[in-house]
Amino acid sequence: MTINSVSLVIAGSGGAGVVTAGSLLLDAAAKAGWYALMSRSSGPQIRGGEAAAMLRFATEPVMSLDDSFHLLMAIDWDNITRFSAEIPLTAASLIVGDPAHGEAPAGLLGNNPRQAAFPMSEIAGRIETGRPNMVALGAIAAMIGLPPEAMQAVVEDNLKRKGQAAIDASMAAFHAGFAAAAHLPAIPRLPAVATSSGPRWSITGNEATGLGVIRGGVRFVAAYPITPATEVLEWLAPSLAKVGGMLVQAEDELASINQIIGASYGGVPAMTATSGPGLSLMIESLGLAVAAEVPLVVVDVMRVGPSTGIATKSEQSDLNIAVYGLHGDAPHIVVAANSVSDCLFTTQWAVHLAEAMQAPALVLTDQAMGQARAILPKPAELAFIGQRLTATAAVEGERYKRYAMTGSGVSPMAIPGTPGLAHTADGLEHNEFGTPSSQASDHLAQMDKRSRKISQFNYGDHWADIEDSEVGAGDTAIITWGSSTGPAREALRRHAAAGGKARLISLRLIAPVQPEKMAVALNGIKRAVVVEQSHSGQFHRMLRAFYDLPAKTVSLHQGGPLAFGPNQILEQLNELNAGSA
Amino acid sequence: MSDDPSNSETINTLPELLAHALAMETEAAERYGELADQMETHRKAAVAKIFRRLEQAEKEHLGELTEMCSKVDLPHIAPWDFKWRHNESPEVIDFTKVHYQLSVREAILLAFEHERKAAEFYAGIAQTTTDTEVQKLARQFAAEEQQHIGWLEAWLAECGPGDALATEDPDPPLCQE
Amino acid sequence: MESCAQKKKYAAKDYKSELKPIWCPGCGDYTVLNAITRALAELALPPEEVAVVSGIGCSSRIPAYTSVYGFHGVHGRALPVATGLKLARPDLTVLVTGGDGDGFSIGGNHFLHACRRNVDLTYIVMDNQVYGMTKGQASPTTAPDWEGSKLTPEGTGINPFQPLVVGLAAGANFIARVSSSDPINMAKIMVEAIRHPGFSLVQVLSPCVTFRPEQQEWRDTVRTAVVDYTDDAARAARRLMTDDGFNVGKVLYKGSRPPFRPEFENSNGSIAELEARFAL
Repeated sequence: MTINSVSLVIAGSGGAGVVTAGSLLLDAAAKAGWYALMSRSSGPQIRGGEAAAMLRFATEPVMSLDDSFHLLMAIDWDNITRFSAEIPLTAASLIVGDPAHGEAPAGLLGNNPRQAAFPMSEIAGRIETGRPNMVALGAIAAMIGLPPEAMQAVVEDNLKRKGQAAIDASMAAFHAGFAAAAHLPAIPRLPAVATSSGPRWSITGNEATGLGVIRGGVRFVAAYPITPATEVLEWLAPSLAKVGGMLVQAEDELASINQIIGASYGGVPAMTATSGPGLSLMIESLGLAVAAEVPLVVVDVMRVGPSTGIATKSEQSDLNIAVYGLHGDAPHIVVAANSVSDCLFTTQWAVHLAEAMQAPALVLTDQAMGQARAILPKPAELAFIGQRLTATAAVEGERYKRYAMTGSGVSPMAIPGTPGLAHTADGLEHNEFGTPSSQASDHLAQMDKRSRKISQFNYGDHWADIEDSEVGAGDTAIITWGSSTGPAREALRRHAAAGGKARLISLRLIAPVQPEKMAVALNGIKRAVVVEQSHSGQFHRMLRAFYDLPAKTVSLHQGGPLAFGPNQILEQLNELNAGSA
Repeated sequence: MSDDPSNSETINTLPELLAHALAMETEAAERYGELADQMETHRKAAVAKIFRRLEQAEKEHLGELTEMCSKVDLPHIAPWDFKWRHNESPEVIDFTKVHYQLSVREAILLAFEHERKAAEFYAGIAQTTTDTEVQKLARQFAAEEQQHIGWLEAWLAECGPGDALATEDPDPPLCQE
Repeated sequence: MESCAQKKKYAAKDYKSELKPIWCPGCGDYTVLNAITRALAELALPPEEVAVVSGIGCSSRIPAYTSVYGFHGVHGRALPVATGLKLARPDLTVLVTGGDGDGFSIGGNHFLHACRRNVDLTYIVMDNQVYGMTKGQASPTTAPDWEGSKLTPEGTGINPFQPLVVGLAAGANFIARVSSSDPINMAKIMVEAIRHPGFSLVQVLSPCVTFRPEQQEWRDTVRTAVVDYTDDAARAARRLMTDDGFNVGKVLYKGSRPPFRPEFENSNGSIAELEARFAL
């Protein structure tokens, strides 16, 4: 089944209230019982820059944005062509613009979308303190079938502090827009939904990330602000305080990572969140956490690289640094969230993994899911809580071995304060006691131990999300990870709607690699397409290095910031199957 | 410690003398042991042996002293409140006075200097104290230090002339971390 | 006088590990290790309630030579590790040990912000004006005309970093300079530094016998500072204006700024309350 959905963009220059309008619309959709996904794009300005809110509404959970938009509601045209690549339009799309701001720029008209004039500023002008963005919202509500009562409730919530007059003015503008939209051309409408569709949440990927680490047991966070990870920290700071934890704003990322190493060494589960540039700075100390066996979680909300790159936009290009960036042989854990809600699951799981293995766990999310807000089914309660194997009492006559050889590779860790077990944790290679050693035998034994605890751990079924299309797996697979999973899932549905069989394999556990599990997942698969948002195809190369892929495996990769649309993946799937038919 | 000036230069009670002696002998035994460790770590066996012998001598001394102290309630004296004030105890060789090419002769001379200071410390107490018990014990301690000095004089006499030449290292220092 | 049994629970030796230092004989760091163990014994702190954190360098080897909890991290990052540890575990006494290169060059930014943040730590910097572990290169505190390194054969030509001036300006709450030629007084000042709330900076002139043998003359160059500490930062700053780096043995400055410690709005909240805010 393909998803019955409607996709639209609200765009405008700074001060037009585009971002606010998007949020109000999302909240109103939530009140109406719909599901939704909203992402944003903006210019480089701190204030006043052009912005676009991209939304998709449906009566069932939304996995990704669609290939194109049904509606572009332009409050004005200022610099809108900067976004034209991010706002794919078709001949069926409708551009609604305000004649007061002139004609739609040619850059938007490549595919001949339909156009309609809508005098938002003029309508707003008739209402005291009426704003064009509220007029636009009224029109959108009328066009997509959103009940005005839903907006009424949201506006009341949002403008409570500004007083009844502000609420009335906003709603007057909304209703004026709603009424004036009657003459506009049609776009798809969604049916009203019974509110019994189960409990739903409104959450961003970055908030879900914060909640996941708190659920996992993290109570200490040190971090340095960086786009697009800052919202993780902004959510965590007050939230940690409420559950007896704390967030410290550090002087730089070198300090962030080392502060959390210190806190975790002290027995308090700890994490930090950053983006590519910050991760680069943390790499040396991640190696320290590997060598000293200090559990911690680092979330990298990926953005376009290299260097400062494009701070506000998404890319899946930190895979290499996350997996290979550390010097020396440094076994560690890399996991990746594959949706807004999976940010919660994966970060909670990461805390569990890090604590259980006394090793650093990197979590890769990205700007697209991190800054996207979704109306989604309430995520499940998870049992993962970080649990560390600790040494609690000295053994008579025995000197404590912090890095004792064990079958699992995990050694009981003495937490400072425990009598008789004082030791020095060391980033220098060491023997079982932690005493620095440059002997080959100590290095090899400790390397084996650090490697063993990661490679032999039981990751269960969480290593990947595997989904077969409704008509069966057939012999074709889509192999993907992270944010590309959403459009891939939808491609699988569309493929099935046309009778096509395929299996989706979305890797959550990036490292250590799981060749045996992958072999089972690929059993009977003869063709595969590897989908990722990376210019150099980092994921494809990694799969090639560690897994036996089907003989016919093609790589579908593109650099950011443009996300894949479901049809883009579907086309590749069809091409793959046509070629082998 | 009392800050009474009349009391600040000497020792007039037995527990106080014992506390000083215990601290001094403990530190001397530890220091000779640490210097022996240093020299062993740096493969200087001959010098290490000298310090190890001195450590043993101090430990024996310390054993007797500990026995003597076991029935006495000793006062707690902070490191900076001992009569040797603001210095380590007289019998202790300063860490920065040694170097890794220290010759046996230099080691003996260093030890000699500090054993002599220790003897002088006890002799000084014996001279100035107003307590006869303290005087008696201080004299005994001074005599024991004199015994160590006697050994050192004998070791110095045994020191070969070639020893002083062994101070060149043909290898440069190494890079570590 | 308190009796031995009442007060003195620990001897200095109780804070030393069985590991033998690899420092060169004659190194000032031996004295610092001894002063730390003497200070801890005097404070009668149970070894398991103390942690020593370090980065990389000769002096950063200290944690393993103690019997307390230790953490030997990477170059320049001891202060953030210690900050995280102390904030997460305020019940511990946390010391940081390191050298001039570790603290003032690669870790310079952390030094500034540790002074500013004023977490209750004691930072003991063994300053020998040279990188010992890498065979004797100029450090941030080296004189500009020192020509002893192949890396800077004509000298660095750069004026040395002034740890106490910078520490004071950045907000350190306790500042002292001591010399390894004065071991007992060093222990006394360490006791004061550990007891003083907030960030305490103790600069130790600790000669490098191998790469800067001339520093052994420091024992004759240093002089005991003539005045006692001030609680007035401006007065301390004026004293530093005429300081040649060899005034030792006294505390320069004791501030009264409260140590950094985040406040919690309500630590009895539950995760369910956090989740409720997302529910529609």
